[in-house]
Amino acid sequence: MKDIDETITRRDFFSHVGWGGVAATLGGSAFSFYRFYFPNVLYETQKVFKIGKPSDYPEGLSEKWKKERQIWVVRNERGLYVMISICRHLGCTPNWFQDKQAFLCPCHGSIFSIEGNVLGGPSPRLLWRAALKIDPTDGQIIVDFNHRQDPDPMSTEQGLRVDEASREVEPFFLKV
Amino acid sequence: MASSNREKISEWVKSTQIYKAIFRHGYEDTPRNRSLTTFSNVLYHLHPVKTRWESIKFRYTWCMGGVSLLLFVMLALTGVMLMFYYVPDVRRAYQDIKDMMTVVSYGTTFRNIHRFAAQGMVATVWIHMTRVFLTGSYKSPREFNWIIGVVLLMLTLLLSWTGYLLPWDQLALWAITVGTKMAAATPLFGVEGPFGVQLGMRPDNDVKFMLLGGTEVGQNALLRFYVLHCVVLPMLVVVFLAVHFWRVRKDGFSGPL
Repeated sequence: MKDIDETITRRDFFSHVGWGGVAATLGGSAFSFYRFYFPNVLYETQKVFKIGKPSDYPEGLSEKWKKERQIWVVRNERGLYVMISICRHLGCTPNWFQDKQAFLCPCHGSIFSIEGNVLGGPSPRLLWRAALKIDPTDGQIIVDFNHRQDPDPMSTEQGLRVDEASREVEPFFLKV
Repeated sequence: MASSNREKISEWVKSTQIYKAIFRHGYEDTPRNRSLTTFSNVLYHLHPVKTRWESIKFRYTWCMGGVSLLLFVMLALTGVMLMFYYVPDVRRAYQDIKDMMTVVSYGTTFRNIHRFAAQGMVATVWIHMTRVFLTGSYKSPREFNWIIGVVLLMLTLLLSWTGYLLPWDQLALWAITVGTKMAAATPLFGVEGPFGVQLGMRPDNDVKFMLLGGTEVGQNALLRFYVLHCVVLPMLVVVFLAVHFWRVRKDGFSGPL
């Protein structure tokens, strides 16, 4: 009897094939049900876009793309980076004040330095920087809005900040 | 060893208050418990307590009522899915359907399930009613349920028609034009119908105007048919289905004499 119990009979085999088919059908339809809700085409502004050549940006901060793309382009003595103009507290849009050399968020008063460090206010994180790339064909900067640098800040007497050298790394910084 | 553990776990699950609150009765095979199973379970409760074997034979029923219900459930589920991508806006509706058929993952599948289930439901409701008619099952005491069934047929056809209008292509536009022109010919309530003009019906206040939300086929018409298709008619179908099944339960399944 034991031998018979351990052999797969024809009946068992077809039963397994049948139930396997049922399971595959249910699994497949569950997957398609899930996948359906992730659109393949989005009718919203491009999240990967070109902003012109590095030589278009002199030293300092450019607000050229803030309205259209929600970014600032900053060049310092070492190179160029793109900062995303979204306050890390509740997602409002801060403003750049040339006289104070700082970003002030109008809603709850977060203050950021030009590097994105938190100088004051409720913001728990530093401003994001977007990933950059040079298009080899036309030399323009390609910004990837969805790929963001988000360093863990240290609390210091001056506020929440990270060492600038750790932020000026590829692909978030262009040495040009 | 493993099976005894499983038994212990299942015994523990069945002893919890949550399980008892949901299922309320045990599995003892006694007449009382069998009645309880039927009476206390929302799904079983839809069925009569006793059913004669002959009356559920496939050859007798063709299962068309049950298949209609199954298709209705499928239509409700896939319909809600389509609502995630479709916007009833005359500038977008056609493009949304095109997107569904080309770029949405499994969009073609779910739209086609919705379409073909709709075609199928019209067919199965007709076949169900044909069977009921041919077997004389509409006779007393089931004459009330026959009337409910006729209402459900009308709702099925209206659902099918309003769904056909939503892609906002040429078919849809002219189907609305023809369909609402028929509404304009309604006696008393339509401007082109008998006694309509005498009752003060004008193109801007009759039943066609109410259906279209205007005097010509446009944005308001699409929105109205969308609401009818997705909310009003399905809710009516659910209400009438509930009455239909309740009557089946009260009158019993019909069967061969």
